[in-house]
Amino acid sequence: MTMNHLRHFFFLAGVTLFCLSACDLEKEVAIELPEYQSRLVIECYLEPGQPFSLLLSRSLPYFDPFPPLNQEFLENILVDSAQVEIFHEGKTYELSNQLAFNPLTRKIFNYYSSEKVPFDTLSSFELMVTLPDGHVVSGTTRLLGAVPIDSLVTQFADMDTLARVLTYFTDNPDEENYYRRMFHQSSLDSNAIQDFSIDDRILEGTAVFGTGYNYVVGDTIISTLFHIDRAYYEFLESLEDAVNANGNPFAQPSPIISNLSGNAIGIFTGISYDRKAIILRK
Amino acid sequence: MDRFITFLFLFLAVWCPAQQTVTVSGRVFDESSGETLIGATALNPSQGAGSATNEYGFYSIAVPARDSVRLVFSYVGFQSRTFELFLLRDTAINVGLSTGVQLEEVVVKANSYQEQLNSTEMSVEAITTREAKLIPVLLGESDILKTVQLKPGIPSGSEGTTGIFVRGGSNDQNLIVLDEAVVYNANHLFGFFSTFNTDAVKDLKIYKGGFPPQYGGRLSSVIDVKLKEGNNKKFAGSGGIGLIASRLTLEGPIQKEKSSFIVSGRRTYVDIFTRAVNRSKEDSEDFNPIPDYFFYDLNTKINYQLGEKDRLFLSGYFGRDVFGVNGDFFDFDFDWGNATGTARWNHVFSPRLFANTTFTYSDYQYNIQTRATGFSFRVGSNIRDANLKTDFYFEPNNQHTIRFGANATYHQFTVGRLKAGSDDGLVSFSAGQDFNGIEYGLYFSDDIDLTEKLAVNGGVRLSGFGNDDTFYFGLEPRLAVRYSFNERWVAKASYARMQQYLHLISSAGVALPTDVWYPSSARVKPQQSHQVAAGVSYILGGQFLLNLESYYKNMDNQLQFVDGAQLFANDDLEEEFAVGEGEAYGVEFSIEKKQGKVTGWIGYTLALTRLKNFSTLDPNGRFAQESEGFGAFYPIYDRRHDLSVVLMYELSRRLTATATFVYGSGDLRWLSPGRFSIQDIYGANFEVVAPDYRERNNYRLPPYHRLDLGLVFRFFPKWGEHDLTLSVVNAYDRRNTFFIYLEPEFPQNTGGNAIEVPNRIAAKQVSLFPVLPSLTWNFKF
Repeated sequence: MTMNHLRHFFFLAGVTLFCLSACDLEKEVAIELPEYQSRLVIECYLEPGQPFSLLLSRSLPYFDPFPPLNQEFLENILVDSAQVEIFHEGKTYELSNQLAFNPLTRKIFNYYSSEKVPFDTLSSFELMVTLPDGHVVSGTTRLLGAVPIDSLVTQFADMDTLARVLTYFTDNPDEENYYRRMFHQSSLDSNAIQDFSIDDRILEGTAVFGTGYNYVVGDTIISTLFHIDRAYYEFLESLEDAVNANGNPFAQPSPIISNLSGNAIGIFTGISYDRKAIILRK
Repeated sequence: MDRFITFLFLFLAVWCPAQQTVTVSGRVFDESSGETLIGATALNPSQGAGSATNEYGFYSIAVPARDSVRLVFSYVGFQSRTFELFLLRDTAINVGLSTGVQLEEVVVKANSYQEQLNSTEMSVEAITTREAKLIPVLLGESDILKTVQLKPGIPSGSEGTTGIFVRGGSNDQNLIVLDEAVVYNANHLFGFFSTFNTDAVKDLKIYKGGFPPQYGGRLSSVIDVKLKEGNNKKFAGSGGIGLIASRLTLEGPIQKEKSSFIVSGRRTYVDIFTRAVNRSKEDSEDFNPIPDYFFYDLNTKINYQLGEKDRLFLSGYFGRDVFGVNGDFFDFDFDWGNATGTARWNHVFSPRLFANTTFTYSDYQYNIQTRATGFSFRVGSNIRDANLKTDFYFEPNNQHTIRFGANATYHQFTVGRLKAGSDDGLVSFSAGQDFNGIEYGLYFSDDIDLTEKLAVNGGVRLSGFGNDDTFYFGLEPRLAVRYSFNERWVAKASYARMQQYLHLISSAGVALPTDVWYPSSARVKPQQSHQVAAGVSYILGGQFLLNLESYYKNMDNQLQFVDGAQLFANDDLEEEFAVGEGEAYGVEFSIEKKQGKVTGWIGYTLALTRLKNFSTLDPNGRFAQESEGFGAFYPIYDRRHDLSVVLMYELSRRLTATATFVYGSGDLRWLSPGRFSIQDIYGANFEVVAPDYRERNNYRLPPYHRLDLGLVFRFFPKWGEHDLTLSVVNAYDRRNTFFIYLEPEFPQNTGGNAIEVPNRIAAKQVSLFPVLPSLTWNFKF
């Protein structure tokens, strides 16, 4: 085998690898999924000082058509005529079946009470949702205090105009804590650049969340640290696992882990957070 | 020592026959290279008595004293040799067999299957390096481990996934040994290639059931790979240049016919191309560098004949896969691989008693390192073993072959060792667990020819495993029976109980290099199985061997993960385990032709595997499969039908054509049958399509099938020989399913609305390979 042969050989190798990368190896297929029984979906977040609100919807078979995002869409997925009650410290808060839209948060709820969630981290809140057919869904949660962000630190790369932002906070090593961290640029209405939850197993005292070197002077950065309970953490993690497994052959799917009884998907939890915003300066 | 052994086995004298006999013993080897031949037979035709060489090439046969005896030595593909003997005392004869054509004796043909039929062993598949070299696997690379998976009962993971799933066993239930050292991850490039370089391998044998008592520690298979010893006659070399990798093997005598060496290495070189591309485009702004990837491995072996009775072997393997991405602010490096070492001493105590003592060392590890400016992150796991074992072969007469031995393995585990933090030391965290344990084994077996037709191999293995707070032991009886109706018809049956003290923690639906080995503990009990198998073999027309086998296996203490298992940086992994049972049964059929212009086999398996009765170790853990009443479920590798056809046609001395066709029921996947929407809290993104996963592994992919073709052109110049191997993998361009995902399709213009609702959901199928032609140049001298 001469050098010339070798040259031909490597040329062939290159052409083959190129052809391989150019092949279209993805196509749409018709598949039939197993039969699916619709389930109730509940989201109820208790934020001290904010009105009680709850979204009660239903899940659907995966390939069911999507109506346009209007009244028809809502009717398709929202579940009406349920009796929704939240019990706390001997008091019952009744949430009436009415569509409520919060223009600030741009969130929608179909059960609402104008009464405000009391700030009480000692006693539990209990939820009971009763459907006209007698089906009952219930859940329990407790509010947590916020964990403060110690500081937001900006670091510029050497000889560069790009900066990253570090969010420092202190984890109490004597407690089992769970956090949800969100990071926004400009405003909370924009899509979160970072949104993930962690537990404090690997944290030792001072902890930090960082970003990539993606920001320049003048950018507004909003960092939020939610102190969440284990049930909410498990719900978020299982939701993330479920979403990520679709399309990733190396991921293990997860059923949704909810803290609700009665074959419902969803979460009933308190919301407490600390939020800091800065405008980047050199 | 010899006295002690003699004393120890005085009681075995009951097996010694009344007629005065002497023993002929020695090694059978390849005349041209000095390589010992495993499974070569020594036959005394007048008495119908025979013996086969053990895995070290040693045989021992009793013959009448003071009488003329004819002994015929034979091995498939070699010319048989006959010795006319008249012996007064025990005699050692080392026999060299040759593949040459000029001698009088004919190359063994008719009894190619006789050794297979006579043996009490069943559920065994073997592949020769010749077959492996003829059958290209991917991109022109031959791969002996991938080729043996074309035999019935050994379905591999579907395309692009690692894993060998023998008779419904999971991927961690295979004992893979290279020169007796355990290989914990036998894969390169995420399973596209195995760690075994075919040029360096002498022999590969896989046991699917009927496990001999010398093997233990895994439930479902033993894959025994032996490296070549090296040519002790002359210096020789071989190698090849392929599309993605090159190989080179050198071997030769250190002292002629007394000691030899072999060194074999290979390396992929796609990274040379990708680095060149990266360099040429590093100045363009939008260019993302192509990650670096390569693998390499190195096999070495030295053997030395210390005297007539002693041989010493030293062998080692080292292999690594290296993957890296390097950027201005970010470096990511990921490497994984095995290292093994074996020191082996063969000693012949007497013509009837042979011993092999081995010390092995195994190490498998993976390391991930990430660096961003000011911060670093390292995570890794490993398992290390040091194992001492000794095996004795005692042949008191031609009716008994007794094996006994013991071993002790010290295991060291590092599970999820993590260290991360900032350079200034302000932030730091770490996690990880270290374990150790000692695994013991003690076994005895006797292969007895009860009558001319009936043979039994009975034995028992006593195994144990202990660490700081726990000790387990297992009594593992093994039994195999062979009944020969006549020279063509044989029926066999076997029973084996197996116990496994190690578990593989797989963080994904498929096997990955980051899977971690975990020891049995107070809460995690050893895996156990019972397997029964029965079958018949028939030689059809003297050319074809037909095999039909059925099996049933049940498995206890099988591990799965709880829903939403947290495996990262978790110092209490056991909280994430669910434990249950498994069962597997099936029928395997094969027809094989070993001699002639056309050789090959057809294998078909009809099988079923299911898992059931899982409960979580953590009382708060959740395993929806059981708690929501879905009952038993099928693992992703449950494959109902599996067919393989392998044909090799030697058109002339210069040209051989091969064809391989495989067909299998599609693997199972866990798809979500339902969806829901989560609007989430303020600041979070609206998840319009969230999957609601229900019953596990609820969707069967379309059937898998593929045709591979190969042509080997051989050239015989004055010096050495070489060949060009042209192969076409997936010849008819079948787009087999690698995975399916469900993709929401959104309208083009949403009018600035923050919440986007899809039009519809499409199912997309992703395949890995189109038709793949390749060319490899191989040489040897």
